[in-house]
Parts: sequence; structure tokens; C-alpha cells
Amino acid sequence: MLHAYGGHILRLDLTSGQSRRVKTDPHFMLNVIGGRGLNSTRMHQELKRDIDPLSPENILLIGVGPLTGTLLSTSAYMTISGKSPLTGILGDSAAGGFLGPELKQAGYDQIVMTGRSDQPVYLLIADDHIELRDAGHLWGKDIWQTTAAIRKELNDNAVQVAAIGPAGENLVKYATVACNNSRMCGRTGMGCIFGSKHLKAVAVRGTGRLSIADPPGFLKLCQELDDRIITHPEYDKRKAMGSTLLMKALNGIGILPTNHFQEGLCEYVDNVSGERLAAKYKVKNKACFNCNLHCSRYYVTKEVEAEGPEYETLCSYTSRIGIDDLEFALKINHFLNRMGMDSLSSGETIGWAMECVQRGLLNRDDFDGLDFTWGNRETVEKLLQMIVRREGLGDAFAEGTLSLARRFGKGTEEYALQVKGLDIICGDPRGIKAFGLTYAIASRGGDHLRAEPFFELTERYDEAERRWGIREIADRLADKGKAVLVEHTERQALLTDCLTMCKNIGLSMDILDFEFASRLLIAGTGLNFTPEKVEAALKGVIERDRLMNIDFGIDASMDTLPKRFTHEPLRKGASKGQVVPIDRMVKEYYEVKGWDKNGVPRG
Amino acid sequence: MITLELEKCSGCSRCEVHCSFFHSGKIGRSGARIKVVKIEDLGIDYPVVCQHCQERYCTKCPENAIEVGHLGQIIVSPTLCTACGTCEIMCPVGAIQLFEDVAYVCDLCGGDPRCVHACTMDAIHFEPQVTEAVSLTEFKKGSRRLNPEEKRLRYAMACSQVLREQWISERSG
Repeated sequence: MLHAYGGHILRLDLTSGQSRRVKTDPHFMLNVIGGRGLNSTRMHQELKRDIDPLSPENILLIGVGPLTGTLLSTSAYMTISGKSPLTGILGDSAAGGFLGPELKQAGYDQIVMTGRSDQPVYLLIADDHIELRDAGHLWGKDIWQTTAAIRKELNDNAVQVAAIGPAGENLVKYATVACNNSRMCGRTGMGCIFGSKHLKAVAVRGTGRLSIADPPGFLKLCQELDDRIITHPEYDKRKAMGSTLLMKALNGIGILPTNHFQEGLCEYVDNVSGERLAAKYKVKNKACFNCNLHCSRYYVTKEVEAEGPEYETLCSYTSRIGIDDLEFALKINHFLNRMGMDSLSSGETIGWAMECVQRGLLNRDDFDGLDFTWGNRETVEKLLQMIVRREGLGDAFAEGTLSLARRFGKGTEEYALQVKGLDIICGDPRGIKAFGLTYAIASRGGDHLRAEPFFELTERYDEAERRWGIREIADRLADKGKAVLVEHTERQALLTDCLTMCKNIGLSMDILDFEFASRLLIAGTGLNFTPEKVEAALKGVIERDRLMNIDFGIDASMDTLPKRFTHEPLRKGASKGQVVPIDRMVKEYYEVKGWDKNGVPRG
Repeated sequence: MITLELEKCSGCSRCEVHCSFFHSGKIGRSGARIKVVKIEDLGIDYPVVCQHCQERYCTKCPENAIEVGHLGQIIVSPTLCTACGTCEIMCPVGAIQLFEDVAYVCDLCGGDPRCVHACTMDAIHFEPQVTEAVSLTEFKKGSRRLNPEEKRLRYAMACSQVLREQWISERSG
């Protein structure tokens, strides 16, 4: 008997509405584990590479980890995958909340959707009942309204909903999918794929219970993980502020993106910090399913109330575009959550425009009279409304920064801070070199979560020596050894994603190691997930992802960083004078991987 | 009885998870005798569990399958219970519910409630001396036509009004 897994894969053709449940194959799962590994392997096997991401042929996957929905803390995530409309390569994004566990309790490990519905629909999964329901009356509604309306019409407040907002309907290339109103699959435009398939939402109700292969053994391991989390030195701080603690932390080491990464220091950081948010607007903690960190927060301001924001949203709508107004950022967080639009990618389009205006490359006339002076809140609000509806100027901005810059030309491409079409996150790589390497090589583009090499920020020199024999790995400014670190944490990040666990625990807090994960998997599922088997599965997924991306058209020249980070030293702060020697680092990374000089796995 | 500090609850549902696992070795909301109601638009998370009410509505069991234990907890006899659903209909707040042909309700884990241990927000407490302190008459009216999930939602809505008002006055004044 297969324990802990949901037990089925649901296949659904949105064109015909036909679905079938297939039993989960344990032998296959041993090679892919679950979650992101399961999704990208499915894509590798079944997706025609040259299709248009917005065509019915694109695949849309929702994958959940084997231990999600069980006793294992912080494993509440699920991953949505498909060919990204924003980047044209492997796309996926994970979110926590309650949908992943509910899918498991309904009996599923993965939903595989293809085709396109004629009419707007939403998918209802109630245990083994599968139904495409009319969503004509939901089209145009925002995410909160959609979730509430579905719960009301099904007369069940416990239904879990993943929904898109107007941004997804209007095919904004970086539209998101939200669970529980606020847990966002934010990156690479998975909400845009939903929109292209006329799929407004997925609603799930599972009344089953998940069994465990070795209940006492598994309980003990889960308690050990709980203890590791609660006794972690950063526990209290993370519980109080979540990721927003990074505002002051990153400013302290001179890498807080300010005015579009022109500076790494923000003079008004105290006004827009996680500390101030917690003190002034937070009313309570929020958490994903079965988490004991409770790092999310519910806030109330004069104008709005919502959950969040996370650091990336907070920074994107404060220092990154020159806005010294916390309440404004909270209002934008609320707006983006409701409309279903990525804060990082939308924020980068604005940062790019503001810098182009500052440098005189573009002016008001290029932007239909909108004033892109740093920190102009009216422009930000007006533009976001236009992007969501693809009105006027918003239509071009809805395509993403790389496309936008190519359209305007005049040397503005240099200021599109992206890798492989994905706008980079809010951490200046010049002061965190392993992160720089991660952005360059990440299989979904300019992103940190593919490796999250947090270790380089810890100054644990002896531990670096013990683990890898290279002391410099614990020095954020050194580039030596960072290829080794990234190769390691890339596997650790994938492991976290395959278990659909939280990266805060898996990587930032350095709590999940391979050996421990192997024990958890064996006790939970009863399958023979030896450490060797787990390692082979992870390496297999990373290699297949790379090969798939090469099929999608990437090559070694795209494993790089925007010129700012390689040629313009930071001018102030604790990372003053730094740039990222990216070519050397990428070359070393290929060598550590055993890939050839063109970045191709030798197979 | 199990008591709640509503303002602390993050909605993580660890109470549910550990309740279900302790009672059956399996994990699922259906197997939990404490169920968290999430009112997402309002930021409220409310674990609903048997309140040891003064009225003891559920004990009007036609099969005499329900008795009150020495800690005030409800004890259901799985052999006498015929899953007729009377208790589920009688409870005004959805704290007792049929699942797999037997009524599920908090039994205080025999005096050491696992939900209290599981809660790392310190939001739920076990107060053994407190029992039959709560009257649910105000929720009885109109509850017959509601299913347990609806009753829990109605109860959570009503019980979170004060906290909501407090938030609004403190944070947006």
C-alpha cells in the first residue's frame, strides 16, 4: 500500500471536459519524489517544446509533495508548472496555504491539465467527483470575490480555492494564482496560463485521511523537525516579521535594492521596515497548514486589510522604486493580491521606466504623459490599473520588462534587470555572490529560490570548512567556492520543492538535510527512499530541466547577469566596491556539475 | 474544557492535524474533532470544538450512545451509535459530526488534549475545572437547517465580532 501520497493523478482535458483518475505509480515517484520534481518530469515527458505557451497545447500542472497534508510541519505547499508565457522556458511557482493538503486529502498527487475550455470554467474536485463548472459569472471578479463566491455557491466554507484575478483573465504575462486569497504562485505567469485556458479557479474539497507507513517513527521525526524549528536562533524574529525582516537586514549589508539597484542602501529604511509593519499595522500572525513558524501576518490600515506582505513585495513597492510610504506598499499588496499580479515583475517594469526617465533615455511623451519620477505613487497606482486591464500603456507593460525594453529600444534594454526574461528579485547580487550565480543559472530565470544559498550569509567559516573544505563559502563577498555551494543548495532547494516544503525552513534556516529527508520519506511513504535514491532523483530532475530549457532555446550566453551587477561597483555601504565576476563563476559551476563548456549535461 | 485565545490563533490547523493523528493514526480534517474555521476576508481563524455547553444538546441521543465523562467531555459509544445523526442536528455549533458511521466529538484525549500541545501560538488551553460554563442557547435558534460546517462558520463569525472591532479601532484610528 502506498502511504502518505494522495494515490492518484488526475488528468483533465479542458477542451472536451473529459477527465480520468490514474493510480500513482510508486516506481515513478521514487525517481521524481513529488511536487516540482514530479511536475517538471511530466513536462519533460509530455510537452511539445515549440508550442506557444498560451495555446491549448500548453500543459498546466499542479503537483503536491508526498508528505504534504501529514504531520510534517511547513510542507503545505503545492507547485503549479507549465511553459512560461513570460519567459518561454520552464515555468513554475509554488505557494503555501491550504490547497496542497486539501488535494492530498481528496486523493491526488498531481493534476495534469491540457486543452482549453470554450467558456470560462472552474474545476471542482470533491474527492472522486470531478466537474467543470460554469465560471461566466465569476469572470471579471477579483480573487477574494471569486474565492468567496465559489464557497458560497458550493455552500462550503472549507473548500480550498486556487484562483486567478482579472490580470490572469487579461493574459498579463506575470499573472499569479492565489490560494487562500493571499498565498501566491507569483512567478513566471502561471495565472496567465489559467487565463489562456479559460480556467478561473480550481476548487478542492477532500474528506479523506492520509495514512502513514510507520506512524510512531514518523511522529518522532516530525517532532524532531518541530524542535529544530522552534529552537532555531532566528525563530522569534521570523515569527514576528516573516521575510519582511530582510528590509533592515539587507540594508545592513548594503544590498537593499534602492532606486532600481542604483544603490544598496536606503536612507528611509526604518519607515518601511518589517519592524515598523509589525509594530504599527500587524494585528495577528497567520500560517500555512500545519506550520509552527506562523511567519505570515494579517494587517489592518485605514484603507485596507490583508495578509502579508512578504519581503519581495514590500521592497518592490518601497525602496526599489523610491517610495518612502509603508501604508502605500500595504495598499498595493492588497491590490496585487486581489487582481492576481506578481509584485516583482510588475515592480521591475516600473523601476525600469523610472530609471530610463532619470537617465533621459525616455520621457513623459514616451509614456502617454505619465510621470515616472522616482517614488511617484499616483503613477504607480494608475499604471497598475492599466496593466491589469491591458489598457493603453498597460498593454506593453503587461508583457514584462524584457519585452517592454526591446519595444522601446534606445539602449533601455541594459536597464531591464532580468535573466532569461524573469525579473530579478530584491537582493543585490553584488554583495551576495552565490545568489548572483543562482540568478544566472536558475532554471526558471532570474530567481533566488532555485538554490537560495543562504549559507554564504552566515559567516559559519568552520562549518563551511567541515562541509565543503572551503572556508570562503561562508563569506558573502567571496566568489571562491560559491559554485560548489550553489550546486549543493540547488539540490537542497529542489528537495524542498519536491516535498513541497517551505524554503524558509529548508534553506534559509538550514533545517532540512538529505539524510533527514530520506528518513522522513521512508517513514512516511514506506517506499525505499534511501539517501542514494533521493540524490539520484534530484540530480535527474536538475539535468532534465536543463535539457528541456535547452530545447526551449536557452544557451550558455544566457547564464549571466545584467551589466549593472558585473560592471558597476556598489558605491556605498557594507558591499561598497563589489561586482559579481559572473563569467568565472558560471564556468566553475559547469565544471562542478560535470557539464560541458556550453552548459550542456554530458548525459 | 478547551478554551481559546482567539487573537493568537494563526489558523495553522496544527490542532486538527494532531487531533486526527492521535485518534486514528491518519491525518485529515474529517478525522479531527476540533476544526478551524477560516474567515479569510476578515482575517479570522477560529478553532471550533465542543464547549461542554450547559444545555448538553447532543446527549438527547435516541440510542443512549452518548454520555458525559468525569472531565465534562462527551463520550460516544461506537457500538451503540447507529449514526442516526440526531446529535449532529442538535449541536448548535457544529462541534459533533458524523464521519465513517460514527459521531466524532472532542473527548479531551482522555485528559491530555493533543491540540493544546500542538498549538505553538499558545492559543488553545485545557482548563479541566471549567465545564458547563457556556450556554449555547443563542446559537440554537435557526441551527437545525444548517450543516455542521455552516454552523461552525456562523458561530465563528459571531464570536469574532469583538476582536474585529478592536482591530479596526486600534489600527485605523
